[in-house]
Amino acid sequence: MAKEIGKDRLGDFYKDGGKVRKRREWRGVEDTLYDYSRWLTIMMTLGKFVMKPRNVKAMFRYRWMANYLAVPMMVDRHTQGLRGEYLRICHTEQDLIINDVAQLLDSLFRGDRRIGNDTEFSKKVVLVDENEMTAVMMGFPTLKSLSRETPSTYVSVLLNQHAAEHYIDVAQEFGLAGDVCPMPEAEAGVSIDDDAPVLGACAIQCNTTCDGSLLGNGVISRRLELEDGIPVFQLAAPLRHREEDVQDYAAQEIRNAIAFIEKHTGEKWDWEHYFECAKRVNYATKCRQEWLEMNRTPYPQVFGSNLALYTETNYMAICGRIPAFEEADRKISKLAQQAYAKKKMAAKEYRHRAIIWGVQSHYYMDFLVWLLNCWGIVPLTDMLSLVSTRVLAEEDTPENRETAIYDMAWLTENMIMRNRTHGGYKVLLNELWEFTQQFNADMVILWEHMSCKALTGMHGMFEDRARELGIHLVWVSHDLFDPRIISRQGVHDQINNYMRTVMREEPIDPSLEVLHDEESW
Amino acid sequence: MKDLKHLIYFENLLLEANNELIRQAQKDGKVCVAYTCENTPEPLLNLPGAFSARLRAPRTGSMEVATYYLTSFLCEYSRALLERAIEGGYNFADCIITPDGCSMMNRCIENMELLKAMGKDKPNFFYEYMEIPMKGDDNGLNLYVVQCRNHILKPLAEHYGIDTSDAAIRQAVAEHNRVCELIRAIGEFRKGEHPAITGYEFHVITLATYACPKYLLIDKLEETLEELKTREPDKVFPYRARVEVVGSEVDDLDFIKLVEDSGAYVCADRFCYGSLPGRDPIALTDDEDALTQVCRQYMLRGECPRYMDMPKMVGRREYVAKVAEEYGADGVIYEQMKFCDPWAYEKMLGSHILREEFGYPVLAVDRPYSIATSGQMRTRVQAFVESMEIKKIQKEGVANG
Amino acid sequence: MNKVLKFALKLLGKLLLVALGFFVVTFTVYFFNLDMKLTAAIEPFLLKHYDRIERDTHL
Repeated sequence: MAKEIGKDRLGDFYKDGGKVRKRREWRGVEDTLYDYSRWLTIMMTLGKFVMKPRNVKAMFRYRWMANYLAVPMMVDRHTQGLRGEYLRICHTEQDLIINDVAQLLDSLFRGDRRIGNDTEFSKKVVLVDENEMTAVMMGFPTLKSLSRETPSTYVSVLLNQHAAEHYIDVAQEFGLAGDVCPMPEAEAGVSIDDDAPVLGACAIQCNTTCDGSLLGNGVISRRLELEDGIPVFQLAAPLRHREEDVQDYAAQEIRNAIAFIEKHTGEKWDWEHYFECAKRVNYATKCRQEWLEMNRTPYPQVFGSNLALYTETNYMAICGRIPAFEEADRKISKLAQQAYAKKKMAAKEYRHRAIIWGVQSHYYMDFLVWLLNCWGIVPLTDMLSLVSTRVLAEEDTPENRETAIYDMAWLTENMIMRNRTHGGYKVLLNELWEFTQQFNADMVILWEHMSCKALTGMHGMFEDRARELGIHLVWVSHDLFDPRIISRQGVHDQINNYMRTVMREEPIDPSLEVLHDEESW
Repeated sequence: MKDLKHLIYFENLLLEANNELIRQAQKDGKVCVAYTCENTPEPLLNLPGAFSARLRAPRTGSMEVATYYLTSFLCEYSRALLERAIEGGYNFADCIITPDGCSMMNRCIENMELLKAMGKDKPNFFYEYMEIPMKGDDNGLNLYVVQCRNHILKPLAEHYGIDTSDAAIRQAVAEHNRVCELIRAIGEFRKGEHPAITGYEFHVITLATYACPKYLLIDKLEETLEELKTREPDKVFPYRARVEVVGSEVDDLDFIKLVEDSGAYVCADRFCYGSLPGRDPIALTDDEDALTQVCRQYMLRGECPRYMDMPKMVGRREYVAKVAEEYGADGVIYEQMKFCDPWAYEKMLGSHILREEFGYPVLAVDRPYSIATSGQMRTRVQAFVESMEIKKIQKEGVANG
Repeated sequence: MNKVLKFALKLLGKLLLVALGFFVVTFTVYFFNLDMKLTAAIEPFLLKHYDRIERDTHL
């Protein structure tokens, strides 16, 4: 029990084969009380959620709801070892995400034909994909854009590493090959297993990240449109997003999507609201760039899995539509500047500066916390946080309205992950080495999501280039949603082996080197 | 049945990617445009002065180097192509044009580019990547036209001085249509109760039209068509069932052979490198430019699972059922190359829908790029044939009271 | 006045006691991770319940 960073043996909190950790950390009086107060707030958010009978009903209807029992533990995993500003930054990010997801769940169940069945509310709902840029909703302030896949699969796996296994198995029982990406596979499994809320005036699907997600949508829309009668628009975002000659196509897709939403909801696009959201998107971009700028120095402040998760939520799911995220951006920036001025560090020792590239293992999102605490590898930034920096048009003028269509198209094309895994090898391969230089990194941790064909298709070139440039490239293979293929310890082992055999180093916190948390959430 | 006069000739053409007709066409001064995906409009690659060659990797053995670059999780077609390119097997090509049809094919070609695996001693060589539509609509058509103009016509004109005028496109379409009409006519012989051509023979002939310069094949195709008109089919149909093969890329002669050796006559080929709809003639009118018409017909007829709008998705399964009915198939075999994402999903959906909504017995299989003599696949097809036979007997039993 | 003050002090004392009790209980739950230990025990029952639900499972 220590106040100072790095004094605790964080591995000792784990119990072999246990589902949860033995106890929470003692971080000194001030930080422990702060963490406790945030825990209380989370408990209140959860309490408020279960006060509504419809949410309890949903808890007993949808299998994936069981994962939400693990919400506080997810926060604990991401705050491991943190103190001071870092702890506060993490909570600002995590708590807001939790609140946002609680509201998403509440709205889904309110409109769900099986649960709340509020038909008037449902008429104002536009369903969107998980991992989908919600830019086309920026001008519809009276509509609710809700994603069913976000709580059923995406967040579920963050909460519980085993959450998607059931749905993966369901999809495979129906004949889906086991080598496709488990994310769209699990989403398809939810639909097949009749475990998705049914609501909405219409739905906007998108070829988000890969061939798998494009095709998985076909399974979902079949049920949604042909059985549940909810019209679905497929928004086709060009893959070669850096090319000039695809932008008109992308822009027209946005116009068509807006027209589709207007037709099925009876609402009209509101330019004033759009430009308000655009301002917030620009503010978020500015903040993110400031954080990344700080991360180029020896004292990075906003980094790791929290940055990835927060960027993903703020950049895509929020897209300037919720003012609370602007507040959070401001608060995070303030805390980061404070810590930077004091040259604070998030762990007791920084040994290596690493760029985290590739597609992260979703069932082990807090791996970056482990990386820092166990080996002193600082995850300066990850691929998911290196998204569009384009400044959107903010002023409502006739010319800007046209520009705005192209801005939305650009954002949609540059959704997280696909902005790097698609669009040609330059964005995935060449730019990685530019970032390693910009961030003064000596190491690249390359998440190899084995069923992500766009990523693994560059495997050899990554190796060749790293060798040429003399950068330590550490592969970390995983199967995104399925820890049965490579467990969390399997992930650790890949780093441990490299650090011991190639780098000939000893861990900073040896208690973390081997953690048998296969049964854990 | 008596052997087809030119079958061995066609088979020999398929033994090498750089076959004798490619060499002959290049000797004639023509530019060889390599491509890899059915979403690349073929007539645009066959403008006067150019000819297309769809890349294959016949007699693939080890793929170790390609597996290092692409890992073992990418489909074997993409790995086999990269391996062959690294070995120098595609240095005959003068350029390569590929759409981002699927991630794996895109990465395969990108690796070729990064490794400089093609275009040796060819200063005008170029790699072009195209965006192609994912929906069959007006916006998709506009994209298709722009992309074909920028990534096919423009580079061909700039690098090799190819005439890309409307008249040249029309001329190429006419030649393309002649081949399509011949293949269609030959394919018609699969429809009768006693077909005059086997599925294997037809596959060989069709495949040759993708892998060789078309204009050099026309006389042999015409002769084969004439020969089929008088060819005596076997008195007793030597197969136990008729099947339609549906799915991803098949350029492996052994796969269709294996299916037929297992007792199932392949009466229809709805797969990539097949004739349905790959050998549909393109109808042109005079009131619109040829490029737009070519693109529209490619887009509307495209059966690739990457088309994600509802009419296309529903249409894909209806098309399989329509072909099955037209060609008298007793059942459908859905095949996918292992690790192919698009066909993994389409196979799952299609096999259920064809079975449940259209009432066809369906076998769903995945397969490697080169199947050779797979006992496992043979057993599966044989079991499928038996199940179809049992169903037939049961049906007849019910009909006879 | 005295009575009012006494009552107020008593109330304050009670409130403090309740607040202290609340803090002790919740902090114990927080520190020893009892909330997660409880939900971990509940989860298997929920999963069994989900297995029993009739579903229209199809493509």
